[in-house]
Amino acid sequence: MAPRFALAALLGSLCYLDRTGACQLMLHRPLVVASLMGAIFGNLAAGAQIGAVLELLYIARLPVGASIPPDDTGAAVFAGTAAAVASSSIGLDGGSFTALLLLSVPFAELGRIADRYVRKVNGRIAHLTAEAVDRGDFRAVEHGLLAGLTLFALTGAVLSLAFSGAGVAIAKHLLYRFGPASRLEFAALQPVLPLLGAASVYSCSRTERTSAVFFLTMAVVFGATVFFRWSG
Amino acid sequence: MTAPVLSRKGRRSVWLRQFLIQGCWNYEGMQNVGFAYAILPALREFYAGRPEEALKAVKRHLEFFNTHPAMGAVILGAAVRLEEGVAAGEADPRSIGTFKVGLMGSLGAIGDAFFWGALRPMACAAGAILAMLHPLAGIVALLALYNGTHLVVRSRGFAAGMEGQDGAVAWLKKAALNIKTEDHKLAAAVLGGAYAGVYAGRHTVLGGDAFHAVVLFAVGVGLIRLFTALFRKAVSPSEILSFLFLLGVLILWD
Repeated sequence: MAPRFALAALLGSLCYLDRTGACQLMLHRPLVVASLMGAIFGNLAAGAQIGAVLELLYIARLPVGASIPPDDTGAAVFAGTAAAVASSSIGLDGGSFTALLLLSVPFAELGRIADRYVRKVNGRIAHLTAEAVDRGDFRAVEHGLLAGLTLFALTGAVLSLAFSGAGVAIAKHLLYRFGPASRLEFAALQPVLPLLGAASVYSCSRTERTSAVFFLTMAVVFGATVFFRWSG
Repeated sequence: MTAPVLSRKGRRSVWLRQFLIQGCWNYEGMQNVGFAYAILPALREFYAGRPEEALKAVKRHLEFFNTHPAMGAVILGAAVRLEEGVAAGEADPRSIGTFKVGLMGSLGAIGDAFFWGALRPMACAAGAILAMLHPLAGIVALLALYNGTHLVVRSRGFAAGMEGQDGAVAWLKKAALNIKTEDHKLAAAVLGGAYAGVYAGRHTVLGGDAFHAVVLFAVGVGLIRLFTALFRKAVSPSEILSFLFLLGVLILWD
């Protein structure tokens, strides 16, 4: 298990770097991160299954100005890892799937707190950089930036390690406490979660024509899906 | 004084460093350290052998700066061109600060609306739908759709900025990001609707009748309307998910 955690910390730190400090190539999106964690812990498909729903849940929260949205990367690290560990050869049951998505909320909020703290420390780094430049050392700009990047990467590695560890622990020690009957009933909440994700997309893509386009497409695709399901 | 020209190596270095503009993001100066870091190779070339002027130039770029990271490329390119003029004694150093401050707010707003409000939801919805077919198809679609535009904007924006202020403004007009924002939002709405339709349709009971399907669809639409109204009232997704979790534990857990 140790090499897997080391790999999770390494890839997690790269994804966290992509989130704010470097590039913003969307490697930090839940679909990518949960699939990666799923692959590391033995089931890419289970990770991707949970990542596809997690992907849209927080998308309406924009990282504009000084506001920091919930850490959906951290939620994906937790949920992707737990999904891979909890899944059997036939995949992840609906109840466990729903429970893991809902349990990912504290990790998204913890990640946001950590992000806020890193940015405060970066303020101190920026201040020291400005002081060094005042003294005539403008290489301090490069050192300051490197320090900021290192802080983002280290925080990402620590969070990934902690969240993937929590994922393994919850999948092994908590999920089985939901009996099969409970899991079946918990699965009743499952259809609500993708709809929450769809509402996030709807609310951040509002134009004059969005409402008509969104619900018309939903009706057509819903009709087609039902038709294909019922016609076998 | 002859105007110094940025070498190919220096230009490549500045172009690559723009990807780290948020590397030391902080609440006071925001992207200030990142911007100074990105423009540093150009300053080293322009002020070679003039350490005091170089220092003043670095300090100029350590002032508050914040815009959308991808749109920062345009400002970075134009700031390099302006520094060229200042180093040659043809421009007032204060014009650089005025230019940056004048552009960062409006470009930030345009970038936030385009990238975070339109392109990202569109790419993510496409990725989430395709991931139902195969995880890798979803990931590839998400990354390709987003970065296909993102990297082009960074590249062309930087090149336009390097042509000077007029070049930057001409490119911004030509890029018409406000129109593209509208188009991408519509595409995101189509994909978001398809995503909702697929998931709602997958939960119909096998062998059910049309009435059940209509009721399920109406419930789906009602829930989306309810969640949207809650988002507008500043209720966060975390709060909604926590409520659902409590509901699940209290009512459904035997």
